[in-house]
Amino acid sequence: MPANPDLPTQRPMQMSHRVAIAGNASVEIARKVTFGPDVFAPEDVTDTDFLHGAGIEDFPRELRYQACFLPNLVTPDWLGALPRLNCNYFIEAFEGLDLRDLSPLRRPYPGPQWDLLTCLSTQSAYHLPIARKFVTALRRRNVLHDKIAPTLEIAVQEAFSNSLLHGNMEIDTTGHLSMEKFNALEQTTRDRLADPHYGNRAIILAARQLETGGVEIFIHDQGRGFTPPQNTDLTAMPGSDSTFGRGLSLIKTLCHDLKFERGGRTIRMRFSGDAVSTAPDMTAPPRPPLVKTSTSSISPGSLTGRPPAPAKPAANPAPETVKIYDSSTNHAAVARNLADESDELHHARILIADDTMISREIVASYLRAEGFTNLVFARDGNDTIDQVRRNQPDLIILDIIMPGMDGYGVCKELRSDPVYAEIPIIAQTALEENEGRTRIFQDGATDLILKPLNKSELLARVRIHLEHRILVKQLRAYRDRTQSELVLAHDMQSMLVPRPDYYRTVGRDYGLSISATFQMSSELGGDIWGLAPLDKDRLAIYLVDFAGHGIGAALNTFRLHSLMWSEDEDLHDPGSYLEALNVQLKRLLPVGQYATMLYGIIDRKKAVFRYACAASTSPIIGKKNGYDFEFLNGSGVPLGVTNDARYETRETPFSDDCFLMLYSDALIETPFNDGNMLDPERLRDVLQNILMRPGGNADLASQVTDYFYDHTPRDLTDDFTLITLQPQTPD
Amino acid sequence: MNYKTQQNDTTITTEMTGRFTFSDHTVFRKLIDEITTQTATTQIFDLSGIEFIDSAGLGMLLLARDEGEKKRATVILRGAKGQVKRMLEVARFDTLFQMED
Repeated sequence: MPANPDLPTQRPMQMSHRVAIAGNASVEIARKVTFGPDVFAPEDVTDTDFLHGAGIEDFPRELRYQACFLPNLVTPDWLGALPRLNCNYFIEAFEGLDLRDLSPLRRPYPGPQWDLLTCLSTQSAYHLPIARKFVTALRRRNVLHDKIAPTLEIAVQEAFSNSLLHGNMEIDTTGHLSMEKFNALEQTTRDRLADPHYGNRAIILAARQLETGGVEIFIHDQGRGFTPPQNTDLTAMPGSDSTFGRGLSLIKTLCHDLKFERGGRTIRMRFSGDAVSTAPDMTAPPRPPLVKTSTSSISPGSLTGRPPAPAKPAANPAPETVKIYDSSTNHAAVARNLADESDELHHARILIADDTMISREIVASYLRAEGFTNLVFARDGNDTIDQVRRNQPDLIILDIIMPGMDGYGVCKELRSDPVYAEIPIIAQTALEENEGRTRIFQDGATDLILKPLNKSELLARVRIHLEHRILVKQLRAYRDRTQSELVLAHDMQSMLVPRPDYYRTVGRDYGLSISATFQMSSELGGDIWGLAPLDKDRLAIYLVDFAGHGIGAALNTFRLHSLMWSEDEDLHDPGSYLEALNVQLKRLLPVGQYATMLYGIIDRKKAVFRYACAASTSPIIGKKNGYDFEFLNGSGVPLGVTNDARYETRETPFSDDCFLMLYSDALIETPFNDGNMLDPERLRDVLQNILMRPGGNADLASQVTDYFYDHTPRDLTDDFTLITLQPQTPD
Repeated sequence: MNYKTQQNDTTITTEMTGRFTFSDHTVFRKLIDEITTQTATTQIFDLSGIEFIDSAGLGMLLLARDEGEKKRATVILRGAKGQVKRMLEVARFDTLFQMED
């Protein structure tokens, strides 16, 4: 399965390309690499657009980018582009980037071969949690199943640090180290990072999904190469005699095939697709036995000793599930369809395939007597295939024993063509032995009836299979229509939320740097947020979360949005503004629906944040130095519940060394992969860790989002909104 | 990785948080310097806030053990969970350290 189904497999020549320039990445270097020989073929890039973005949200997800150039000395916030940007190639634009024999960048022509590739300088890579981000990105691109991600992360971490430290930086850490030696090592590490000879060497980490459903990871370095130890049991874990020598043993234990290429400057690891449900496992080669299996498994989903997931037959696609967004309309549609169905049933085209005319006529007479008149006939196997292609029947009644291609052959041939993969085939046979029956089902028959034919049995089965087919067709058509309407509604709803260029510009007017992430869970969501400049010192901000998501919740966001600016409400007092809004919303909302909301005003002159809450999450005010966080009071009656709700205006200091964070409840109520949620204690730690690392103050919302993505399952069940506002510090 | 140390009588407790990996050489060196200036009979490394450790992190814990033993202190690893706990198990650190939940 391709990781990016929207990607054309063969792209026409002369197609315009998009290249993302992240932040202050050097355009000059980006152009040099793009038009040089290392990434694309020259004739392929004649028409290339370079698009700039100050933050990840500036690159719309609907657009695909052929490459993204990251700023020199990549900061953790830009690493978040890996899971979030619609792009497979991430290259740090740094002076001294010299790919030399690293042609793998070039190899993918004409279509991307890598599902994800990063090319970084040693200097940058050393300080970044690259294994984590890379694995998160693979998970979110569906290249990798959530279950094997923890295993893969450890293997990538070990292999990457091996290539970085021993390869590019040529650091030797074998044996037992004393503290003095460790200190010397630490000094060497810093020296080499600062020395362009080592620090500017590139390291490439690339992954692709294998056809068997597994994943292959390559790491290329530019060091002097490495000879893997011969005749030693790599999986044996060293004891206290080795300080840093466990990496290779770990890798060997975790991945299912490990190879060194380019004289040890490339590590290739393969992981079987065990837990990848989207790919058929039948074709996967049996896993070679490990030399020695570690006694304790590294993770519940690790590759050692795990039985393969039950394989699904490839010819039988999983049944379509129909997503129901609005139950009332859907029921009506189904009921209406049932009424039309009897008509449609009798118009169904039925193909009768039998080599004897008398048998064909018997079946036909039974069917005609029941009102099935749209009949076509085939005399043998090859004729059946011709008639199917010519007449596109809705159902086939197929004799198994025929001259030339028999019924088994017909089934196989039809099922191998996706167009006919689901057409019902009723096989008829005089065979009573089990072997023939089993075989015809395996070859793709839907049902089987025995000769001599029983009229009522034949009619009952024809009816059942046709009804089933018609219902599925109708549901599919209904779903397709709903889908296209959802896409439209999705576009409309995303227009209610401020775009990055807007909120950044507005933020700058108030000396604030604003960073935001907004992601809908299903096609439509119940979250909206926005800004309203009140005067030159005061900026209003709101965040609303309607109960539920899908069409109902989205309609409510439109309702509310039209109310918010429709009348001259008193925008200057948060409490009375919520009270007025509540009364109006109560009038509009059906009983049982409600919203939570925060409305606040940042007053830059008085350095205060005044706000009112209707059961919102607790806004967080914290110091930019990473200490002192306060969870503000988010309590209040939800909007739309009762007419006489009162809302208190609260006030808190908001000085230049503070940041403010607003978020929807998905942030704190989504179960993490470890089963816990982001409770206040953990959220505090996360913020502290981010703020205390270099570059921690940049694009704070993005960095918290990245942490969230790292730890949560790929599919969100609730909308996710996160906004941070910080006074800009003069630099 | 970030850390906080705290001394109670003869016990030094170091609470570590974040990811503990090869890029933490410098901060670890600082941590060891800080611990060795104090006298204690027990050194506890609280790993409950560590969410990911790699083989370099394991190696640095071994160095901490060596340094502790030089000062005749008992070195205890406390509160490892999830990935960290499994890594310690795979590397058989239970045979090298005193472990606490």
